[in-house]
Amino acid sequence: MKKLLKIVAILAVAGLLIGGGVGLYMFFMPHRDVQKSPTDYTLTSSELVAEYLNDFDQANQKYLSEDGNSKIIEVTGTVASITEDYNGQKVVLLKEPGQVAGVSCTFMHETNPNATALNIGQTVTIKGVIRSGVFYDPDLEMHLNAVIEKSDVVL
Amino acid sequence: MIRKMKTTKILLTALITIVFSMTAFSQAGDRLVSSKSHIKFFSTTPAEDIEANNYTSTSTINTSNGNVVFTVPMQGFEFPKALMQRHFNNSDFLDTKQFPNARFVGKIANLDQVDFSANGTYNAQVEGEMTIKGVTKPIRENGTITVNGNSFEINSKFNLTLADYGVEFVRGKPASNIAKTVEVTFVGEYQKQ
Repeated sequence: MKKLLKIVAILAVAGLLIGGGVGLYMFFMPHRDVQKSPTDYTLTSSELVAEYLNDFDQANQKYLSEDGNSKIIEVTGTVASITEDYNGQKVVLLKEPGQVAGVSCTFMHETNPNATALNIGQTVTIKGVIRSGVFYDPDLEMHLNAVIEKSDVVL
Repeated sequence: MIRKMKTTKILLTALITIVFSMTAFSQAGDRLVSSKSHIKFFSTTPAEDIEANNYTSTSTINTSNGNVVFTVPMQGFEFPKALMQRHFNNSDFLDTKQFPNARFVGKIANLDQVDFSANGTYNAQVEGEMTIKGVTKPIRENGTITVNGNSFEINSKFNLTLADYGVEFVRGKPASNIAKTVEVTFVGEYQKQ
């Protein structure tokens, strides 16, 4: 009987420790490190644009994840512009001449210098996590670029 | 005969060019497109304050008819904690895989009080329809438009009741830690296109 109590007590304490540990881990779980995570898809900016324009819903099913940790892609394209957002992060637009849309790549403070080093017209490969795809918005009267964030140049 | 055809051709080309450049010109004058933007979600409860930031939205303003349009990639919202971001994107909450973009389509209601050609800060009342998670609701909010030459800045702060859009936190931590009404702050910089 005493032995049984002892086992139950040990199990309870272990359960509490594991449960608490998991809880703490979940609470303090860091964001996924996009640059250190494996790449899901490698393609050109034109290919991504074409895929979205061909079937927006199907492309979303392929690239977006329900928990927001969507696919990590490496996109190759021509640098059309380099700007900066309100967070001081560089934004590199990969867009081929004559195309309706491109891929907007938001860098991070620590990867900003790699964006600044790029030249307009240069062909480059950029890795990041996809946030949204390409579509024509009839109210905006324009095509929206795909958006990737947490970007860096792939050397 | 050939000469006449040639003249007609030249005249036609000239006409087409004029019409095209006129259309292009009128569009250039009327349409402002956001070059950068920031949307902040702020929720406060006794349990905790939660803030999320999004720098990926796109917006246009038509200065001649007052039309205002926003589209917001929902997965572009970033939270300080990874778990909060997961909750936000989850199918129980914003379901961003099925509804990747929130949008607003509306008008500046007091367009006559905003002079886009004169520097200054103007109060603007914007009314229209907001769509979040596939649910569309009418909204009317205030903001300011600051004109500085060819650059325009829009600021607005308003409240959104999440339940209006079918976003309800009934169980667990999100229910106690996320406010029923969140404060949304928008700032955007626009350029003539």
